[in-house]
Amino acid sequence: MAAHNHRYTILMMGNPNVGKSALFNRLTGANAVVSNYPGTTVDVTRGFLRKERLEYEIIDVPGAYSLEARDAAEEVAVRILGGHPDAVVMVVLDATRVERGLYLALEVMEHGNPLFVALNMIDAAREREVSVDVATLQEILGVPVVPTSAVRGEGMLDLVEAVHRAQPPDIAAIEARAFGEVKCPAGERPLSIAGTAGGVPE
Amino acid sequence: MSISPSRRWELVDCIARRTVSAGACRPTLGGVLGELTVKPLTGIPTALAVLYAFWSVFGSFAGALVTDGFMVRIFDGYWLPWMQAVWPDPGSVHYFLFVGDPAAETCFEAFGMLTSGLFVSFGVVLPAILVFYLMMTLLEDSGYLPRLAVLMDTLLHKIGLHGYAIVPAILGLGCNVPAVTATRTLETRKQRFIMMTLLALFIPCGAQLGIMLQAVPDTVGWVLLYLLIGFVVFGFALSRVIPGSNPEILIDVPPYRWPQRTNVAKKLWNKTRGFLTNAVPFVMLGILIVNVLYLTGFIGWLADLAAPLFVTWFGVPKETVGPLLAAFLRKDLAVAQLSTIPMTPYQMITAVVLISIYFPCVATFAMMVREGPRQLLAAMGVLAVVVMIYGGLIHAVGILLGVA
Repeated sequence: MAAHNHRYTILMMGNPNVGKSALFNRLTGANAVVSNYPGTTVDVTRGFLRKERLEYEIIDVPGAYSLEARDAAEEVAVRILGGHPDAVVMVVLDATRVERGLYLALEVMEHGNPLFVALNMIDAAREREVSVDVATLQEILGVPVVPTSAVRGEGMLDLVEAVHRAQPPDIAAIEARAFGEVKCPAGERPLSIAGTAGGVPE
Repeated sequence: MSISPSRRWELVDCIARRTVSAGACRPTLGGVLGELTVKPLTGIPTALAVLYAFWSVFGSFAGALVTDGFMVRIFDGYWLPWMQAVWPDPGSVHYFLFVGDPAAETCFEAFGMLTSGLFVSFGVVLPAILVFYLMMTLLEDSGYLPRLAVLMDTLLHKIGLHGYAIVPAILGLGCNVPAVTATRTLETRKQRFIMMTLLALFIPCGAQLGIMLQAVPDTVGWVLLYLLIGFVVFGFALSRVIPGSNPEILIDVPPYRWPQRTNVAKKLWNKTRGFLTNAVPFVMLGILIVNVLYLTGFIGWLADLAAPLFVTWFGVPKETVGPLLAAFLRKDLAVAQLSTIPMTPYQMITAVVLISIYFPCVATFAMMVREGPRQLLAAMGVLAVVVMIYGGLIHAVGILLGVA
């Protein structure tokens, strides 16, 4: 039997309709309702995962666009995050529209919980020829980033393994790394920046 | 530590630029359909077609094919006569409770736990909700609901809600219980209050729709029309009376996706399991309680007491008190019971509308308590007023038309 100190609590947070409940069902074998509209999950669902004598309590938190709660479902999300200062947070991003989920991701990062990122719907992103540079994203954020597809079951083992590499993010360091070599000038393509990055002092 | 929102947006922008690159944007079938179903010119006819298809599949598969084709024949042709023949002592209390009326010719009339209870549960409501949820799941999983929300936005703003309120409303047509929690996606207390009140009043659930198609088929259209009119009229009134705001929101419309077979199967199985464990016991309990209340004379006494209100104000026979009591437990059961009381077609319409609006079923009520007891009290107050006004109004319309 798993000892108490080997128990992890994981909060799944992200925008509505990015596949949190689908991931949750994959990880825990539970029966959370999965639909294709934002706001399917408005309440908290808990599930458990046991692997190699470790026990993970996984909490499927209602989706939110930001932590300044706009409706009752988002209030639940804020309350759960506030109520679990020691939990590991799994931020779930939709790989087809990473930019939309990053705002909430940064807000959650400012809370300081150990954190890692699930880059979900990676199969849909591939299909639509949206490519996400996982290595760079991981480097900038300083936390593990795991590409997943809840529908196909891709990346589930990596996700569980990433729990142990989760880091409390350092927002100042993220800012430094993101704007790092060169301040992103508005309107300019990142690729051209990367091309000239070598000669720019850190 | 934390940073300002504008700084955060800059950071989002910078990270996205450095990590995401999109390939050439090619139009896909899903994308084109997505556009067409959300633009009013093409979207509104599509929405009407979708809702009509939903309703006709519901009626023809659940009602005509399964219930009329098989269940009625089995239950009325074999099961009921067999129970009436085999069960000992017609006239005894246990016969009355389990089999019901020894002379009944249909399972609606008998009103025993093993006759009407089983028929209502498995003959009518189970096929109805299975077909209903199959189609509902297709709407949910394909991504059509948010598009319907966009189309309905202008209309719903007139009754103090915004387009996304269509989601709890449509979920409510399946069952009001999850619909009550789904109101959490609405932004202000005003919106939630209006939606919850309108849900409790004017949205009939799948079980009730199924039994209505079966037990009172000629009145269904009128009942739904009255409920729709009530929804709009009282929504309009509430949105003007209730303080609070009704802000515009952005609706996040996901791309169309193919419903996954495993997910559809899982949802149907969960609904079926929920029905067997939560609904069937309540149907049985409802019949038991109503029958016991009949035997003790309570319902007769209550009917006499309520007669002035029912006969003079609502224009329905005083015997409808019994079904109204049952409606607190299960609305489907109440409609089944109502269908066996002799009355004019217009009285039947009024009575079925009253069953729908007079009070939410106990499961919905419990969920509303959970979402906020104070709001619930206010909702009950509104409900009482609306039932009196609307019930009287429907009666008045009947008098004017000369059919009451």
